[in-house]
Amino acid sequence: MMMENREKSLRIEEMIAALPDAGNTGKVSPEILADISKRISLKKMPTSALTRFWSLGNVQTKIALGYLAYRVRSSFVSAGKKQKLLNETHLAAAIRLLATMGYMRGAVMKLGQILANLPDVVPDEFAEILGALHFEAPPMHYSMIREVFVAEMGREPEEIFASFDKKAFAAASLGQVHKARLKTGEEVAVKIQYPHIARTIQADMRNLRFLLAPMRLSADWGSMTEYLVEIERVLTIEADYEQEAAFCRQAGKLFERAEGFVIPEIYDQYSSRRILTMEFIPGCHLQEFLAGNPSEELRNNYSLLISRFWARLFYSAKQIVADPHPGNFIFMADGRLGFIDFGCTRATSVEEQEMLAQLEIAFLEKDPAKIDQVIANACLYHDPSRMSLVQLQVIREVITWQFGPIVSEKLYDWGDSDFFLRGMELNLEMVQKGCSQSMPLCIWTNRMTYGFRAICYRLKCQNYFGRICREERERAQNG
Amino acid sequence: MRITEEAKNQNREKIIKAAAMLFAEKGFEETTTRDIAKAAGLATGTMFNYFPSKETMAMSMINEALLKGGADFVTRRTGEEEFAEELFLFITTGLQRLRAMHPFIGPVLEKSLSPFARKATCKEGESAREQHLAVVSAIMTRHGHTMVPEFLATNIYWSLYLGILAFWSNDDSPNQEATLAMIDYSIILFARMISAADPVAGGLSK
Repeated sequence: MMMENREKSLRIEEMIAALPDAGNTGKVSPEILADISKRISLKKMPTSALTRFWSLGNVQTKIALGYLAYRVRSSFVSAGKKQKLLNETHLAAAIRLLATMGYMRGAVMKLGQILANLPDVVPDEFAEILGALHFEAPPMHYSMIREVFVAEMGREPEEIFASFDKKAFAAASLGQVHKARLKTGEEVAVKIQYPHIARTIQADMRNLRFLLAPMRLSADWGSMTEYLVEIERVLTIEADYEQEAAFCRQAGKLFERAEGFVIPEIYDQYSSRRILTMEFIPGCHLQEFLAGNPSEELRNNYSLLISRFWARLFYSAKQIVADPHPGNFIFMADGRLGFIDFGCTRATSVEEQEMLAQLEIAFLEKDPAKIDQVIANACLYHDPSRMSLVQLQVIREVITWQFGPIVSEKLYDWGDSDFFLRGMELNLEMVQKGCSQSMPLCIWTNRMTYGFRAICYRLKCQNYFGRICREERERAQNG
Repeated sequence: MRITEEAKNQNREKIIKAAAMLFAEKGFEETTTRDIAKAAGLATGTMFNYFPSKETMAMSMINEALLKGGADFVTRRTGEEEFAEELFLFITTGLQRLRAMHPFIGPVLEKSLSPFARKATCKEGESAREQHLAVVSAIMTRHGHTMVPEFLATNIYWSLYLGILAFWSNDDSPNQEATLAMIDYSIILFARMISAADPVAGGLSK
């Protein structure tokens, strides 16, 4: 009951007070996380634009004030205490952000998923708490699920399926997933979307544009506006499960189960724009897989599958998996890899494919002039001489970090933290030096690259990435 | 000539059917009692023996639908629902029965259920309100929400419910999915209100 929950819930101040003292690692106890999750489950998604805007603006203010308070307080304390204060500030900021994101779901929750997948970009405390977002979104009760079914399919879940679990077994950013069994016996996962979420995404984007309005006088504003339009477009597609089913089917044709890939079958007769019924893939997620101390061989094998999965979709299907967070991968007991979420998939246009191909050719030919020309095109300057030397230098380094492994034949150690951190630093440098103008596609190629590399980094694996890419490129060329 | 009870019921049914068709086609405001009588094959004067006004006619239809919704709710309820979930189920089950009236329900509810017009409230509207609130009271009792004075809780609830109906009558989202989110959110709000006012929960008494 709600009353009991409210009484047991901790306040942020109490959570911070519960932190260990000396040698604070910033780890959050499972009890605190469970409590946060419970608090969030009491919150319902505000669907009006005004309420959502208030939540977004309010949390930013609180986080900013938290860090400001840290700066003021840390001026008067010793170095050891400074570290503790900083950890406390990180933790408090993360808790506030998590609470709001769980509250707002939708588009903003996606941000949490991106951050959580990049453990070294954000402070450890942030990453750990945000990690909880993958599977702990607030639930819809069963009566709501029934209403969505009646509205979408004209029938109740029990009329459609032989059995239907009333409790969700996983949360999706736009809804939740229930296990069910078809009358023909197959076990399925049924993804159900929270009503009206697509419109709340539009409201989020409107609010975001408003919050970013102070930037409108900067040189990047035009590019930023295009980015926001692009993000809204992809997130709106993500809210359309019929489109996701189409992407999933297209991918299914490219991967053989004997090769080690399992792409779920879609059951159209039990699916709609808001309900997606697909084959249930048994297995575990990355965190649980790693907790079992898998052998180096097994980790490398999975990195090979993940890399080939990425490359084949990129070269053969011309698709960018724009949401490669670990919750979408299933590590199966027999060593195969399942991929269960094609919601955030971005199809590339002919013009975009041409630009990406040109960039690869330039790298393969090791031709600096060609590389600069493609960079200028991708950054919408169309001529390298119109870019400053600083811009050109930073972007050249970013692109080298991104494309280097693709065109190299050497064994890559993805667990090398120096290499991974360098990528993060370059990304930050690019933003700091005002080099963010680019084709909107680059949002997704960046996210895809960083996302996949973050997973490989966590797997601490090695593989011949360039060789995999070459094989997949040739496979695509040979039809 | 005396008319049998069966014939009376048949006439009533004819009028309701004709009215439902015309309200859906032309809208509530644009339909006249003469149109309805003509479509039902009755004299206008005869029709007034059954329904004194167009509003009463429409509200009778709504009342019947809500009664059927109440019966559906009893069938659909599993007994495992928590308080907010059970209220959600009750409201949404009623709306399913009202769905056919969605195109014209707004002005009817405005005239028949307006909380500002107690004296002019039609009998059918008052009956719908009483029956609906009786179920809500039973749900509250079942879940132990007995500490808040009932007239307060039901009045707060009724204001929210009218808001939901008003929102739903104007909801043009696919399958009125925006209303589902609205009901979910409104019920949580209501549950929090009556929980906070409950001395057992330590709300206001603290």
